[in-house]
Amino acid sequence: MPKTEKVTRRQFIKGSIGAATAFTIVPRHVLGGPNHTPPSETFGGALIGCGGRGNGTFEAMGLEAKKLAICDVKFVGREDNKTVYRDFRRVLERKDIDVVAIATPPHWHALISIAAMEAGKDVLCEKPMTRFIAEGRAVAEAEKRYNRIFQVGTFGRFDVSRDPRSIEIHKIMASGLLKKNCKGVHIKSGGLKVKEWSGMVNAQPQPIPKSLDWDMYCGPSPLRPYHPHRHGGTHRGYWDYEGGGLADMGQHHYDPVQWVYARDDTSPVEIEAYAPPAHQEACGMWGWVELKYIDGMTFVFDSREWGEPYNRKQAREVLLSDLSKEDQKKIKEMPDPEPLVSFAEAVKTRKRAGGNADAANRSATLMHLANIAIRTGRKLRYDSVKEQIIGDDEANRLVNPPMRAPWHL
Amino acid sequence: MAKQSSAFAEIINRLPDPDERGLLSNIDKETVDIVISQIYEGGQKSLLALTGMLVEPGRGDDVKPRYALHCLAVHMCKSDEEKGRRAFTETLATQLGGDKPKSVQKYLIQQLQVAGGKEVVPALGKMLEDDELYESAAQAIVAIGDGAAEQLRKALPGAKGKMKLTIIQNLGVVRDTESVGALKNALGDDDRDISLAAGWALANIGDAGSVDLLLKAANVEGTYERNTATKACLLLAEKLLGSGKKGPATKIYTHLRDTRSQPDETYIRAAANKGLATVTKR
Repeated sequence: MPKTEKVTRRQFIKGSIGAATAFTIVPRHVLGGPNHTPPSETFGGALIGCGGRGNGTFEAMGLEAKKLAICDVKFVGREDNKTVYRDFRRVLERKDIDVVAIATPPHWHALISIAAMEAGKDVLCEKPMTRFIAEGRAVAEAEKRYNRIFQVGTFGRFDVSRDPRSIEIHKIMASGLLKKNCKGVHIKSGGLKVKEWSGMVNAQPQPIPKSLDWDMYCGPSPLRPYHPHRHGGTHRGYWDYEGGGLADMGQHHYDPVQWVYARDDTSPVEIEAYAPPAHQEACGMWGWVELKYIDGMTFVFDSREWGEPYNRKQAREVLLSDLSKEDQKKIKEMPDPEPLVSFAEAVKTRKRAGGNADAANRSATLMHLANIAIRTGRKLRYDSVKEQIIGDDEANRLVNPPMRAPWHL
Repeated sequence: MAKQSSAFAEIINRLPDPDERGLLSNIDKETVDIVISQIYEGGQKSLLALTGMLVEPGRGDDVKPRYALHCLAVHMCKSDEEKGRRAFTETLATQLGGDKPKSVQKYLIQQLQVAGGKEVVPALGKMLEDDELYESAAQAIVAIGDGAAEQLRKALPGAKGKMKLTIIQNLGVVRDTESVGALKNALGDDDRDISLAAGWALANIGDAGSVDLLLKAANVEGTYERNTATKACLLLAEKLLGSGKKGPATKIYTHLRDTRSQPDETYIRAAANKGLATVTKR
C-alpha cells in the first residue's frame, strides 16, 4: 500500500465516548499527512457488538485508537447516530473511522467484517471467526480484494511462534519432508465448555425487550421467536448464532496448534464424530471428534463431558527423529519463520496480520467440520481445496447455508 | 386406534427429558437411535402421527416430537436410505399448505432443508407465495439447489416488498441466467435493498451485459450504497475475468480506477489497479 494512503487514513480525534464528551475532528492539514508531521499515531476506532467481549476486543487491537462509535442492536432508543448506533452500516459510513473491533455474536462476524473492509476499514474480529465455512472464504476474499488488515481475536499463535520447540515442529511440517505417514496426534481434552454452552430445547417465546432490535439481531439467521437465552452470551448454545462450546473455545485452542503444524493453508480430509443425535436448534452434548489431514496428522477434540473418552490414538508430537538423518540436517539449516505481525503493526505497516483471514478461516473450519460431523452423525470426507464435503449433498448444506435477505456473502 | 396412539406416544416419550436448565445433557445415544428406528419402521403412518404432535411455540410441549422429527430427517440422509429419504420428504411435503399452524409448517420446511431433494422443490415453491413461510421456503429451496431457479422465477412476478427482495437475492445465489432481464429491471426498483440485491445478483451471475448498468448504479452517492454497488462491480469483474472475458472486466476496473479519486476511496482505486494488473498477466 502506498505510504500516502497510510497517512491520510489517520486523523487525530479529540475526546472519546468513554468520557461521554463531545469530540472534535481536527482536519488532517492541521495535523499532518504528506509533507506534514502528525503529532499523533491515533486511529479512529469503532466497536460493533458491546456485550461481554466488547471492550476486551477493542483493547486487543493494541493501537492508540479513539473509540468514536459504539454500536449494538440492543441500543434501541439510545442511538444518536453520532457516537451510539444500532445499525453497523451507519458506523461504517464514517470517514473518520479507520479500525473496527467486532464483538457481536458470530453469526454477524463475517458480514460485518466484509462490510467494514468494503468501506476501507481494518478489522479485528472476535473469535470464532465465522458461523460456517463459506463465510471464512468470503472474508478472506474481501481481505485480499480490498487489501485490508484482518485479525481474528485469538492470539495464542503469537506465543507459540516464539517457542523454540514449536518452531522446530513448524519447520518440520512446513518443509514438506513428512508428506506421508505423519505420526503426529494432537488431542484437546476437556475445557471445551460443552454443557455450559449448550442451548435450551424447551425455550418458549417471550416478549422482545423494547431496547432490542430482534430482527436485526437475528440478521442472516432464521427469525425465531425471542427468548433471552438466545441472546447475551448464552447465544453460544444455538446453531443459528454460533456452535456451542466447541465453536466458542475451539479456535482459541487449535489456532496456535494449526500454526505449529503449518496447517494455515489446508484442512482435514476425514472427520468422524462420536456423539448422540444432535438437536435442530440447540447445540448439545458430544463425546469426541477426530479430524485427519491428508498426511496422516490427526487433531482430536475430546470433550470429556459425554460418553467414553477418546481412545483410538495416543497424543504424539512430531519429532525431528521422524525424519532421516539427511532430512534432519535440512531442518537444522532452515531459517526460522518470519515473526508473526500483530494487528497494530499490520495496520501501521500494511503487512499481513499473523491471524489473517486465510489462517483464521482454516482454524475456524476445524470447528465447523467437527460440528457438521456431530450434526449429521456421518463420517465426512472433505476437499480442502474446494472447501466442500465430498459425496454428501445434505452435509454440504451446512457448509454454506442460505442467509435471510438482505444479507448474503 | 387410541391404543396405537398411546403406544406411539410412549415410544416418543422414551426420548430424553430436558434437564433443569432446559438442556439435553442426559442423553443416551442408544435409546435415541432405537426410538428413531422404531419411528422409521412405522413408515408413513408413524411419520404423520409425529407431525401431528407438533404444536405452535407457546401452545404446549412438543420438545420430544420436534427432536424426533429432526433426528429422523438426519437419519434419512444416510447414503443407503435414498428410497426411504424420498418417502419421508414427500410425506412431509403433503403437510404444507394445509391447516397446520404456520409455525409448524415452518418447522417441516426446515426439516425438508435438511433432508429434501428435488422431489419436494415444487411443493416448497408454492410456499414462496406465503407471507409467513416464504423465507424458510426460499432457504430450503436454495439449500436443495436442484430445481430452485424455476420456482424462484415463477414466484417473482407476484412478489412484493421483502418477499421480492428474498426472491431477487436468491436468484443471484443460484446464479440463474434466465432471470437476467428481470434482475436488470429490479436494479431500478425504488426499494434500495431490492436494487442492491439485484446488482449483486447480476454480478454473481457474471452477466457481461450488465457492466454499464452496474457501473452506473455504483455512481450512487450514499456511502453504504456506494460501497455495496462498488463491490458488485468488482465481483462482476472477477467473474468475467474468471470466464475469460477480459474486455468487460477491463472496462469495470478502468472505470473504478478513474472515478475513485477521493482520498477515502484510494483502496478502491488500488483494488481496480490490482485487477487491471491481473488482466494484463492473463
